[in-house]
Amino acid sequence: MNILVCIKQILDPDLPARDFKIDAANKEADPKGANKVTNIFCENALETALQLREKAGGGKVTAITYGPEGAEDSLRKALAMTVDEAVLVINDKHSKPDAIAVGKVLAAAARKLGDFDLVMVGRESGDWGLGQTGGVLAEELGLPSLAFVDEVDPDGDGLKLQRQTDNGSEVATVKPPALVLITNNENNVPRIPKTRDVMMSYRKPLQKLTLEELGVADEAVGDGHTAFEVTNLYVPEKSVSCEFVQGDSLDEKVTELARRIHGIVASVN
Amino acid sequence: MNMSEATREVYWNVPYHNLIYVFLAPTLVIMLWGFYRRFRLWKAGKPALRTDRLGERVDLFIRNALGQARTMRNTYAAVFHTGLYLGFIVLVIATTVVAIHADTPLKIMQGPFYLFFQSLIVDFFGLFVMFAVLMAWYRRGRLKPAKLVYTDEANILLGLIFVIAFTGFLIEGWRIVVTEDPWGLWSPVGYVFGIASAKVMSTEAMTMAHRGSWWLHMAVSFGFIAYAPFTKMAHVVFSPLNIFTANLDGYGASLKDIDFEKAERFGINSLPDFTWKDLLDLDACTECGRCTAVCPANTVGKELSPRDIILDLQKLMHDSSDELLEIAAKRQKGELEPPKDGEPPPIPIIRDDHAVNKEALFQCTTCAACMEACPVFIEQLPKIVDARRFLVMEEADFPEGMMNVVTSMEQRQHPFPGTQFTRTDWADGLELDILADMADPKEAEVLFWVGCGGALVERNRSTVRATAKLLKKAGVKFAILGREESCTGDPARRIGNEFLFEMLAKGNVETLNGYGVKQIVTSCPHCFNTFANEYPQFGGHYEVSHHSQYLRDLVEGGRLQPVHEDHRHVTYHDPCYLGRHNGEYEAPRKVVAASSRTDIVEMPKSGRDSFCCGGGGGMMYVDEPPDKRVNQERAQQAIDTGADVVAVACPFCATMLEDGVGARKGDRNVSVIDVAEMLLASVGDEEAPVAGESSAG
Repeated sequence: MNILVCIKQILDPDLPARDFKIDAANKEADPKGANKVTNIFCENALETALQLREKAGGGKVTAITYGPEGAEDSLRKALAMTVDEAVLVINDKHSKPDAIAVGKVLAAAARKLGDFDLVMVGRESGDWGLGQTGGVLAEELGLPSLAFVDEVDPDGDGLKLQRQTDNGSEVATVKPPALVLITNNENNVPRIPKTRDVMMSYRKPLQKLTLEELGVADEAVGDGHTAFEVTNLYVPEKSVSCEFVQGDSLDEKVTELARRIHGIVASVN
Repeated sequence: MNMSEATREVYWNVPYHNLIYVFLAPTLVIMLWGFYRRFRLWKAGKPALRTDRLGERVDLFIRNALGQARTMRNTYAAVFHTGLYLGFIVLVIATTVVAIHADTPLKIMQGPFYLFFQSLIVDFFGLFVMFAVLMAWYRRGRLKPAKLVYTDEANILLGLIFVIAFTGFLIEGWRIVVTEDPWGLWSPVGYVFGIASAKVMSTEAMTMAHRGSWWLHMAVSFGFIAYAPFTKMAHVVFSPLNIFTANLDGYGASLKDIDFEKAERFGINSLPDFTWKDLLDLDACTECGRCTAVCPANTVGKELSPRDIILDLQKLMHDSSDELLEIAAKRQKGELEPPKDGEPPPIPIIRDDHAVNKEALFQCTTCAACMEACPVFIEQLPKIVDARRFLVMEEADFPEGMMNVVTSMEQRQHPFPGTQFTRTDWADGLELDILADMADPKEAEVLFWVGCGGALVERNRSTVRATAKLLKKAGVKFAILGREESCTGDPARRIGNEFLFEMLAKGNVETLNGYGVKQIVTSCPHCFNTFANEYPQFGGHYEVSHHSQYLRDLVEGGRLQPVHEDHRHVTYHDPCYLGRHNGEYEAPRKVVAASSRTDIVEMPKSGRDSFCCGGGGGMMYVDEPPDKRVNQERAQQAIDTGADVVAVACPFCATMLEDGVGARKGDRNVSVIDVAEMLLASVGDEEAPVAGESSAG
């Protein structure tokens, strides 16, 4: 079982609200002062992959990310969680790659790295939350894909996938290769690495690839060539208005309050 | 009668008495063998330096081994243990005197010495010993405190001691009566025994009984001597040894370092991985149970019992002695194989079926009450942390709440995941200097180390704000680190993630040394302890004070003048890491006294006997069962004093106790206030409520 897990490093979603600032000129969140962490659904994907490796009695898990040099931290953490290999596709040129660009880059890397039985991505990232990279990547690689998967089990020469739905779970089977978008459940909470593994994670090799090495042209994925453009980015302004319901008696006030609530509910519906 | 000729006939009525030397030889051999077989087990441990600083060790030994200072803290035990302890010493001396007098040319047992010491004093202590045994029996049989371990061995030992003392008096009494000893009255207890038995026994009967009892006295005494090293009586040798080799650096400096490059295993889950001193600790235990009696976790009904941790490990050491010695021999020859992945370590100490289990280990608040209570200076806490380290670093198997904190400390350098505060929000409007923004950081004489618990937790922002305001009012040239501050690593270290602690410590020392920081004031006793006791080994040498100490100095130096005095009744809760761990009990009390019109109403458990708030050792981040909450227990103790204010000096204590007081105060109006907040209100400040006129309740 050869598994590729695509992960993304994002700004810490636990950032205190006061520390969250918008860089208006670049139309992105200001990374200054914020910690970088691995996107939680990507960690769920890593955990699911590691559990699958255990259930299958062996195999190889490779973690990959497309990002700046600093994204190495997320890969080191994946190594500490005991993935077998880690690959960083260095993005030092493009500030805001969209899902199509990322999908193309990751697809090129996946093809270069070998044959994978299963590609796993997190269901969406905690920063932009678009949830599109998995779909694009599946399309690029020509793989069948399934979203909202929270458990993967070996099933003969195939895989059994459990998928969350609004009303419960669905179970699907697939013959590899395939791609799944992982969501969280109580069984794929990312493991806490053992200290020895943390120490070892800094000694393990980490492969770095450039876009040139992957044969991905700047024009295909670079700034100004994205299909998706952010035109405005801002923190919504909170406004609070307060009004005391008037009336001569408590009954009158309550009746008036009920009438007003009814009006608001009716206007929303 | 000439007093200088006073003596008595030795070995009267005992033919073949020289046989005792024949019996003594094997007795001593068995005793020495008994001690040796324990001693060689400790030798199987890893090295530890506990024979340095001889002057301090002798001092400690005189106070606590000879002087029994800690034993004396419990009045009942103090009385009967003194009887047994001094009785033992006096009677051994007396017996030696007899032997010297009888079997060497030195005739020392005569004259006033014979009368005052050998007769009168020895009689008194013999009686004291019997009385002590009765007291001990009464405690075991009637009072039955939960802290004791109820074994047959304990009763047998007491029985033997009683028989020795009692037969001593019988043979003395019969000898006095039958030989019509002119000095008999100098041995009043024996004399009374003798007179009493003369009423019902003939001279022949007494002579016969004397001879039998004499041999019985010898047999039981020798039996006791030979049996002692195999029982808890061995503490007469091991406990003094343990006191002599105790940790001299205080509880705040009691955790071991790990060399991550060399260590084969992180933490300890294998008996041979303990040091010889750890193993000696196990044998030194007298089973008095004081550690468990004061343990906050145990008090609220949790499983953790420091006493049973020591005793279960002691039993494990004895039960697996062969394996232990085999491993030690291999280690000495360099033949010990490094541990293999996934293989259980030899003689594992963390076992579901005894006191050192996963659940109990993670109930410890690291408050060190157990170590403070131990009369023989056993170190329970470092062993608990050693075992935690194994579970955390080797197994990654520890409570979820602690996992979240460890992850947060790794990613965000603070242990409060989800906080909505930044490191400087609390200082809004105060215009404090931040080292990184200063043209010359050296202009700041003092660094105010705010701490995560101060900056990032709602409750404590007013405390650190109060401290900063007071420093400003006093004209102290100080600065903060702001965003560059990160957790000192205390929770990581106590939870058992030594690796993370080291990373944080190294990072902080680099930052602080980079700015040439010399003097630090901390708001949190945990940070204080880390700077004072743990950073020096990473090259961080600072003059560190807790804010209560610094504020006290400012008040005493006249730089702050309290004007409004709080009229409410105040009790003060000693934080473990300021009090017990670092010996500072006075400074915060002085700050309270300066701010308050009334005297502090002390809780029964205060000062060195203070009861933890429940927040130390990473326990703040763990959900406790609703009916077993240490913070509520402590809050109740505070409420029971009738005080209106619970003064605190630690952000952990403040949050834990505010929570506990909220749950237990009922209709009462009880506030939890930091000493800095009290002082600010007293000095006068527009933000701080004027003393006593309003309270958060």
